[in-house]
Amino acid sequence: MVKISDLKVGDIIRNEFDGITRELLRRYAKVSGDTNPIHTNDAIAEKAGLKGVIAHGLFSFGFISKLFEDFLSGERDGKIIEIDIEMRAFVRCGDLLITEATVSKIEGKRVYFDVKQTTITKVDIKDKDGNIIKQFEAGERGYITQKDIDRGLVKTKEVEEGILTYRERVATPGHAIIELFE
Amino acid sequence: MDDEEIKKNAEFLIQNLANKEVPGHANVSVRYKNLVEFAKIYGITDPKYIGPEEDGIVACHAFANYFTVKALYKLLIGMKLIQDGKERPVVLNPGKLLHAGNKYNWEGCVDVKPGDKLKITAKWGKVWLIEETMVLFAELLVTVKNQNDELVCKPTVTVAVRPGGY
Repeated sequence: MVKISDLKVGDIIRNEFDGITRELLRRYAKVSGDTNPIHTNDAIAEKAGLKGVIAHGLFSFGFISKLFEDFLSGERDGKIIEIDIEMRAFVRCGDLLITEATVSKIEGKRVYFDVKQTTITKVDIKDKDGNIIKQFEAGERGYITQKDIDRGLVKTKEVEEGILTYRERVATPGHAIIELFE
Repeated sequence: MDDEEIKKNAEFLIQNLANKEVPGHANVSVRYKNLVEFAKIYGITDPKYIGPEEDGIVACHAFANYFTVKALYKLLIGMKLIQDGKERPVVLNPGKLLHAGNKYNWEGCVDVKPGDKLKITAKWGKVWLIEETMVLFAELLVTVKNQNDELVCKPTVTVAVRPGGY
């Protein structure tokens, strides 16, 4: 059971999800009622200038509420009071979605968090000579822009098969408040 | 649509939407199956959210997305205004509509349960134009109550409409 005395400013809770697929977005569209085809149909998304389907704006939000539901053992240890987010960047199929909440303030039984969701978008893997040996959807569909490069969001790291190029950016910054029972 | 018309429409909407009630309401019937499917999308396994119906499950918090989308489609896209003697929708081209932000407040709220009949009402909050990009922003302050007139959620939706969409 999580108690107020267990927490301090700077503590971080997080989850990761790497299962964003077209099938999942189709399921989400059906249950949410948000059937805008830019989320489920690549041809329509391309016509809208999006280069491919994008996740629904509120789709990623569910991973923030799940983070707090898990932290509070399904609200058995406290209540979620508020979650407030900005939607700054698209989330796409194949992205690794990292949801992180950092305790920013504690007042009585209330705990305030800074929240951010970061996407890791794999582009390609190159060998030592710079030849592409594996390309991901972002590479094939050209999701990475010059602006991403100029902003320093595109990075590389060594992986088993070679050098991975990926983009790391904050898609959803925000805040949350929970209230613990003890 | 030229720049002058876009600016004129933005001024009209700022004057005629800010702090005004959205007429009408939207209704949502909460079904057990939908609640469970919603939770499963996020890999939720807690029986409180996905257990058998007879055990008295409640909606996970992400389910608020469901009635928020209903509010957007029914109340925002369905709303009409009179401009220069002619009826017009708030959003001329829904393809130019973006969801820019979302706040859910559950202070003093009760859980959503299967069988609930929710009533969604809304009013406009701030409406403003970013002149550099001519993107019009508006806050929609939503209230969601159940059949017992108990509050279940207070969403605030920030929408952005790109030029040509308003």
